[in-house]
Amino acid sequence: MASLTAAEETVLSHTFGDGLTRAADALAEMTGHQIIVAAPSVRLCSASDVIAMAGGPEAIVVGIYLGIGGSLKGHALLMLPPVGAHHLARILIDGVAEPADDDDLVDPLVFDPLATSALQEVGNVMISAFLNELGMHLAEPVMPSVPQAIVEMAGAILDAVLVDLSMEGDRLLAARAAFIDGDRAIEGTLLVLPRPESLGTLLEVVGVDRL
Amino acid sequence: MTPTVLAASLPAVPPLLVAGIGEMVISRDAKTTLVAYGLGSCVALAAWDPHTAVGGLAHFMLPTGPSGGPPVKFIDGGLQAFLDGFARHGGRPRHAQLKGAGGAAMLAIVSGGLEIGRRNAEAVAAGLESLGLKLHAHDFGGTNGRTVQLEVATGRLLVKSVSNVTTL
Repeated sequence: MASLTAAEETVLSHTFGDGLTRAADALAEMTGHQIIVAAPSVRLCSASDVIAMAGGPEAIVVGIYLGIGGSLKGHALLMLPPVGAHHLARILIDGVAEPADDDDLVDPLVFDPLATSALQEVGNVMISAFLNELGMHLAEPVMPSVPQAIVEMAGAILDAVLVDLSMEGDRLLAARAAFIDGDRAIEGTLLVLPRPESLGTLLEVVGVDRL
Repeated sequence: MTPTVLAASLPAVPPLLVAGIGEMVISRDAKTTLVAYGLGSCVALAAWDPHTAVGGLAHFMLPTGPSGGPPVKFIDGGLQAFLDGFARHGGRPRHAQLKGAGGAAMLAIVSGGLEIGRRNAEAVAAGLESLGLKLHAHDFGGTNGRTVQLEVATGRLLVKSVSNVTTL
């Protein structure tokens, strides 16, 4: 995956942008909060660039990972700051609109099974919404895996994904957007990383013929 | 009113040299700390020569692969490249303390993500052995990410996870 033409980048940005908007809509529907998609971008970059997009290698995040299989292959990762993830879980479980007082959190890096499950479902719903948008262009279904949630350094979470993507080259296609609501109770980053061999499929379905 | 001179009251921050994925850093500056952030299945190898006080840190990604690209992305070609670089800076691999960390199983990725960490750790140990070298200490495996810091002055290797800090 050496390069994209300007036309290819424009078309992919548009298609992924639609997918990221669908993901934001899905989060808005789940939470009842208005969600803004901030700084969406689609670009070819290095493994280090992808880690920078996630907030840097040492940033501790709640990562919700789904593998993507079927006609499109790759990885999707929703990353939330731990305190924000607790707020989001409270909104989903208790229907509390206001964020909890941070002092209530004994250890922000610990999530009970119910909160973990709620966050996995957020990842599942957002990433599925994204894939549904892309899937509208595809003849064969796209199949996300069961979500996994993990509290870790962003670099360490991305390591395994980047290893899988980097066996064949040093440039990766990354789609990224941040999601925030007005009072910043909810904020997160969604990264979608297609496998290199899926680039041709993607460009084909969005109507770009590669030479 | 006397202006406050903030800079004078701040502690000196030691210079950091960062080894990103597939990169190595080597220094003989005693004030420098070498760092590899956020290792998951990746493996870091630290080399420190106690006589010449040269330190090196490599951030390997995969056991094997084609040459070209980042210098130490692959252990099979990158290990020798790292030791050669260490020697060029005055480090002596045969007299160096060699320490490794990383190789965790982070995510159950379909293509074998859980296996890569273990294979990386094994590849570093086997690669060193084939050169007649061995690891003096290591912290491999598990399910936690790690950040490692090598102090060039002392050869101390700090291994930090989300919940723990150990010294090798």
